[in-house]
Order: sequence, then C-alpha cells, then structure tokens
Amino acid sequence: MMRATLVLLVRELKKWFGRKPVLVMSLLTPVLWIALFGKSLNLTNMLMPPGSLEGISPEMMKVLQQMVTARLIELFGTTDYFTYMSSGMLVVFAVFQGMFSGISIIFDKRLGYMDRLLVAPIPRLSIWLSKILAVAVRVTLLSLLLLAVSLLLGMNLKEGVGVIDLLASWSYIILLAMTIASLYALLSFYADNQEIVFAAGNLLNLPLMFTSSAMFPVEQMPDWLQKLASANPVTFAADLVRYHLIGRPVGDYTAELVKLVVIALVMLVVSGWASLRWMNNR
Amino acid sequence: MRHETCAVEAIDLEKTYKNGVKALKGVSFCIQRGEIFSLLGPNGAGKTTTVKILSTLIKPSGGTAYVGGYNVVEESSNVRRIIGIVPQDLTADDEMTGYDNVYVQARLHGLSRNEAKKKTKEVLEFMGLLEAANRKARTYSGGMRKRLEIAMSLVHSPQILFLDEPTLGLDVQSRRHLWDLIRKLKREGTTILLTTHYMEEADTLSDRIAIIDLGKVVALGSPEELKARLGGDRIYIRPALNQDLSLIKEKLVSKGYEVSILNGEVIVKVKKAEDSLFDIINLLRDLKISSLRISKPNLEDVFLELTGRKLREEEPLDSFRYRIHSMRVRR
Repeated sequence: MMRATLVLLVRELKKWFGRKPVLVMSLLTPVLWIALFGKSLNLTNMLMPPGSLEGISPEMMKVLQQMVTARLIELFGTTDYFTYMSSGMLVVFAVFQGMFSGISIIFDKRLGYMDRLLVAPIPRLSIWLSKILAVAVRVTLLSLLLLAVSLLLGMNLKEGVGVIDLLASWSYIILLAMTIASLYALLSFYADNQEIVFAAGNLLNLPLMFTSSAMFPVEQMPDWLQKLASANPVTFAADLVRYHLIGRPVGDYTAELVKLVVIALVMLVVSGWASLRWMNNR
Repeated sequence: MRHETCAVEAIDLEKTYKNGVKALKGVSFCIQRGEIFSLLGPNGAGKTTTVKILSTLIKPSGGTAYVGGYNVVEESSNVRRIIGIVPQDLTADDEMTGYDNVYVQARLHGLSRNEAKKKTKEVLEFMGLLEAANRKARTYSGGMRKRLEIAMSLVHSPQILFLDEPTLGLDVQSRRHLWDLIRKLKREGTTILLTTHYMEEADTLSDRIAIIDLGKVVALGSPEELKARLGGDRIYIRPALNQDLSLIKEKLVSKGYEVSILNGEVIVKVKKAEDSLFDIINLLRDLKISSLRISKPNLEDVFLELTGRKLREEEPLDSFRYRIHSMRVRR
C-alpha cells in the first residue's frame, strides 16, 4: 500500500513540476488576492474620523482613535487588515488547491491511464490516496511560498511565534486541504467529464470562502451567515491558524479543533469508501 | 486456485452493461499454455469486453473465468500479478517520458528500484524505444506509442499477455514489425490472447482462433481447421443487372452446383475453383456479368458462412473522416 501510494505520488508531483506555468499561476492567484484586496482594504485609514469634522479637541480625537483601534482588535485581532487577510488566505488557498485532485482523476479516467492502474497488482485505495496526498504536498510547498511572500509584503506575525505554531498551522491547513480534495475525488470518480469539476469549483469556492472567517470576522456577520460560518470547516481552520500565526484569540480552541478533525475524517472515509466502490463495481 | 489445465479459461461468460447492452451471451474457451489464441470478430462482437473481464477490469454478470488458475473475481489480485495487458486505446501518460511510463509500471508491479531501472531499459530496447526514452510520450508517432504500450505491459515479464486490437490504425510496416514481436514473445514462452478484426492477422499469428459474433463463440479451431470447414473454394459472381441473380442461381443449381445469394452476389461453392470455372463461364455466357472472382479458403469466408455477414461490415460514413482520407489520398 505505502509503496504503491508513494510511486503514484511521485508521478503526480513530477507531472506538477513539469508544468511550470501552472506552478506560477497557482501561486500568483493568492498573492494577487492578498496584495490587491488585502492592501486596498485599509481599515485603519477608512475608519479615521473625517477631516471635515470641526471643533474637535486633540483629546477627543485620541479617544476616537482608541475606539477604532479597540474595535478593530476586537474583531480582527489586529489593526492591519492585510495581516488578517493573508493569514486567512493561507487557508482559502488550500480550498482552491483541493480541486486538483479531481481534475487529475478525471483526466486519468478519460485518457485510459486509470485502466492501467486498475489492472496493476496494487491496493486500489492507493490510487485514491495518492491523489489526496498529492494535494497535501502541493499545499505544503505553496503555503510556505505564500507565507514568505506575505511576510515580504508586511504581514505581522504574533510576538514570539514558534515552531509549534508553524507546525500546528501547517497541520490544520493540510487537514482542510485533504477534506476538500476528498470531496473532489469522490465527485470525480463518479463524474465522467472535467467540466463538472470546474463547475463545482466555481460553485463551491466562493461560498466556502465567504461563509467563513477567512476574509471577514464572523462576529460582525448577520445571524444567518454566522450560522453557516459556524458549520464551515474553513472557519475552523482559519480561526485556528490565526490563533497560532497572528495571535487572534479563538472562542473555544478544542471545540473548533475537534470539529475540523471530525469533518476531515468523515470526508476522507466517505470519499475513500465511495471511490473504492466505483473502482470495484464496473 | 483451480487445477491448471488451461492458461486462460472462460466458462459461459456473460456481461450486461449498466445501460442494458448485452455484450457477452455465454463465451467459453480454453487457452493452452504458450499458444497464441485469437478472438476474431467484427466491431461490437464482445472481444474487448472479454479481455476486460479476463484482465479484472470489469466483472462478469454471469459465468466464471480463470487466468493462470486464479478466479478473475475472487482472486483478482493474483491475476493482476501475472498478466500484462495492451489495451485498444492508448493509455500511456503523454506528459511523462517513455522511460517514466514504463518505470512506474515496473514499480507498481513490485520491482525494486534497481530491478525496475534495469528492466525498464531492457524492455525499451526490446521495443526499439531506447533512443526516444527520455522524450515525452506525446511526441511519439502512432507506431511508437503502441510499442510504448507494449513495453509498459511487458516490463514485469507477464506469463500471459492480452493484446486488444494491437495493430488497429497502424501502417503496414509497423504492423509487420509488431507481428514479429508477438512471435518473439511466444518463442519466449508467453501465452498470448489477441483480439482482432483483421483476418490476415488472425490467420498468420494464431495457433487457434475463436470466431466471435454478437457475444457468442460461433467457431473455434486452428486456422487450417476453420478454413477446412468451407470444403473448398468460393466463386463470387456479380451480374450487371440485379434481376439476373435468381436466373444465374437457377442455371447453376440445375447443373448440380451449391449456390447462395448474398449482398447482390451469387456465391458458388466448389471443391477447386480451377476445375469448374470454365464450365460456369460457359453456362453464363449469354448474361452480362460485372465481376467474377475466385476466393481460396480464408477466414473472411468462414465468418460469412457462419453468420451470413461480412467480417468488416460497411462502417457508417463519417463525412469528416472521409474528406480527410480523400485529401490524403490525393496528396
């Protein structure tokens, strides 16, 4: 099982490294998001008392500024939206990458390579597993690059951030990436056409991103949106990663962690089981 | 594991696909160790379905099959260990090099890194692909890609090799090259199951042939045995006018010939065409004949005799392909 998975994983990664433009573009997408969106939404400037306001004493001005800062920290855990968003983008990025497990499966099916794998003397689950792990490896490498770019652009990590924080963040990002990859793998074994994967991606990516705390804090959302966000694994991953990277407090660490792990396990088991079923019942 | 009498044994195989198509309606045969066995039949006869079941890619709806003594459903992983399969379609990953395509197969079949490297080189050399080994498969020509498919299927030295329409779409030269390779593999002791709808291919390569039509085996034997069933030559007479068909038949029957009519032609069965030709021409000298041909015993005629249809039915006209074809011919 391990050996076949490894052989297939190496194949996936070799192909990925062979496609340099894809590599660059996959990295450029989140970088542009954080650079353009994250930088242009300058909350501190936006919420400054207007210059046209007359007759305000310097003391009053100070109070107003303190108010704004306090509110921002309460909501975002930082006064800098860029820092808030780039930490969320690490998580959103894992969601974007999850789709590639599905595309790879669809093309293996359509080009006949899947038939080769199905008649090879290997545990068939390793075919599925290699696709999920390929996403995990991709996300690991790309997240490191994205974090480096974010830091260059001015992201502020919390004081005294340590190896444990980085490792914990990495595990939560990978857990989410594998959850999403499982979903697409399941879809792709039963679909016979790559457009379904792209359509599902367009359909799911946006709501997954905006019904979570990845881009904006849940606390200021309308009630119904808060309910959605509190069931979205992207929220759990984003909250936990933020706690470790930028020090934004998280309501109930253990609860969010348990929910993230349970959702991931359920998705992995269902996806692995259903994929195996497709392979064995033809 | 079953007591091994046949390298491959199919017993009343049936397959109904999920869309309701009945591809196999009870196919049985036994392939001896070390022989080249062909499934000969037109498109849609059930050849590919049979290969897919035997190679454990799909499950039969009825019947059983043993490959190397292993049940294809219950002991599928043992079957996969000892077979190689060259599917009808190209399956190599064209984003990978020829070398990597073969190497991955070797590793998936459990060879260690060093063994895999060695065997990959060996088999690429055997297939004449060593020079192109480090090129991406998408740069390969049609013949090279087919040979790459075979290399991928041979790298683990399978006891039994399935070849599904291996020469489909290949030019004459690549076809002959492939035939030589198949004979070489047989000499090395590999049991080979070949499917084809080219009667020359089945005739020249096979030790035994199962003629398959509409999901059933209609005849089984060596090429010589099958051709001997015809009991002699065939003379095909096409009159200029269709209404003369029955007239010709009458004239010939009255002289004691065995005659049938098919597709606008009168078919006369004779022991030896040379002996009766003069007599027949004499009988028909008052009629306008547009063509007359003699056919020595061949598998095409065997198929016609058994099913009343030609092995290669007229394919539906694809105007686009037709245009491209005629463009090429003109050039």
